[in-house]
Amino acid sequence: MKKILSFIIFFIVLAALSGSVLAGQDVKIDDQPQGSHEADENRENAPLYPIKFYQDYISRIDGNRCPMHPTCSQYCIEAFRKHGTFLGWIMCSDRLMRCGRDENKLSDPVWIDGKKRTYDPVSNNDFWR
Amino acid sequence: MQIRNYYTVYLLFTFFSIFFLFIPCSQSFAGSGSQNASDPSLILSPDKQFNYAQDLFSAEDYSTAVNEYKRFIYFFPKDKRVELAMFQIGQSYFLGRKFDEAVKSFKKLTDRYFETEYSIKAYFMMSEAYVKLKAFNLALISLNNLIMITQDEDIKDEAYYRIGWIYIETAFWDKARHYFNRISPKNRNKFKLEKLTAELDRETLIPKKDPMLAGFLSIIPGGGYAYCERYQDALIAFLLNGGLIYAAYESFDEGHDALGGLLTFVGFGFYAGNIYGAVTSAHKYNRKETGQFIYQLKKNARVNLSADLENKGVLLSFRFSF
Repeated sequence: MKKILSFIIFFIVLAALSGSVLAGQDVKIDDQPQGSHEADENRENAPLYPIKFYQDYISRIDGNRCPMHPTCSQYCIEAFRKHGTFLGWIMCSDRLMRCGRDENKLSDPVWIDGKKRTYDPVSNNDFWR
Repeated sequence: MQIRNYYTVYLLFTFFSIFFLFIPCSQSFAGSGSQNASDPSLILSPDKQFNYAQDLFSAEDYSTAVNEYKRFIYFFPKDKRVELAMFQIGQSYFLGRKFDEAVKSFKKLTDRYFETEYSIKAYFMMSEAYVKLKAFNLALISLNNLIMITQDEDIKDEAYYRIGWIYIETAFWDKARHYFNRISPKNRNKFKLEKLTAELDRETLIPKKDPMLAGFLSIIPGGGYAYCERYQDALIAFLLNGGLIYAAYESFDEGHDALGGLLTFVGFGFYAGNIYGAVTSAHKYNRKETGQFIYQLKKNARVNLSADLENKGVLLSFRFSF
């Protein structure tokens, strides 16, 4: 039990640190050389690689079946970009749990390519803003 | 010699005959052009230009109407309808849903004219455009500016009424009441204030969910969702989190620490997501209920104001629920 607790604490700390480091939204240094900007950008985009991989190779074959707009993968990308890795990951998990059930009854519908979707952008879920 | 003279006379006769024959013909052919050139209808007159712009406005061709109103102002800057044309430019942008441009146009009018019929309308329309842009503070500023410059009690009352509704739109009920109370007694019936305040007092009955409580209840996965009446989401959150926690526990118990760590990492996201989602759901629930209350309030008690005014003011239409 002690072991499990230590692992949980370790991962929470790791996730929190990676969130604050990778978010990079509050740190703005304009006189950095271009190379380091690119490195920062790559580091910011790192958590998005699995999602982009999913969009490019899995979803393309699997088809666009998400009943929400934006789709869950797109929502996750936007959440990561807007709120950083830590909060992005939480919002992404929350969205995956909510996808396509009660949200359909509560949020407004929107028609995309002739199909009815539920409109649930990131801005509808960052209540503190 | 005589023969030659006859021949010359004959030639001259033929030439003049043909010449005179052609005069009426040439006039009839060329006449259409020359007549048009002298036709006064082709000259750009203020009336024709303004009416053309108005026709376009009536035909809902707003972008062309804007250009024609601008042309009117450019060619006839001294005309007494310039102010109206400026107002119509703003209206065209507003009805064409270009609210930013509408604000700029109305602002131009209020900068140039002071407490005139259309400048007052422009203040009201400016506030409406700001409301459409969800810039509620700017809408309030615009109406407060109007209250400051005008001495007319009716206009002030309308501005108070509109400010009250902006506060209702943003769910600041007490501020809304405060501004409705500032409307002078003579106009209270006009704005149906008795009915409105009675309806507004029902805001205490709006069902609400406490976001803090929703978050706290999510300690048991799905508890917060269930509190917010999202029962399917609650079940999914409970099963998913329960499954991940159990799987992580079993992995560590079996000595698969790496797998256990990975499951803990994923499980942490879903557990935190369950708390976050419950808090967001409570906010969404409150937003939806408040929105429905405002919708009902508008339907039952709002006096519809339009800036298509006659003389100084306000064209009123009333909505009643039966």
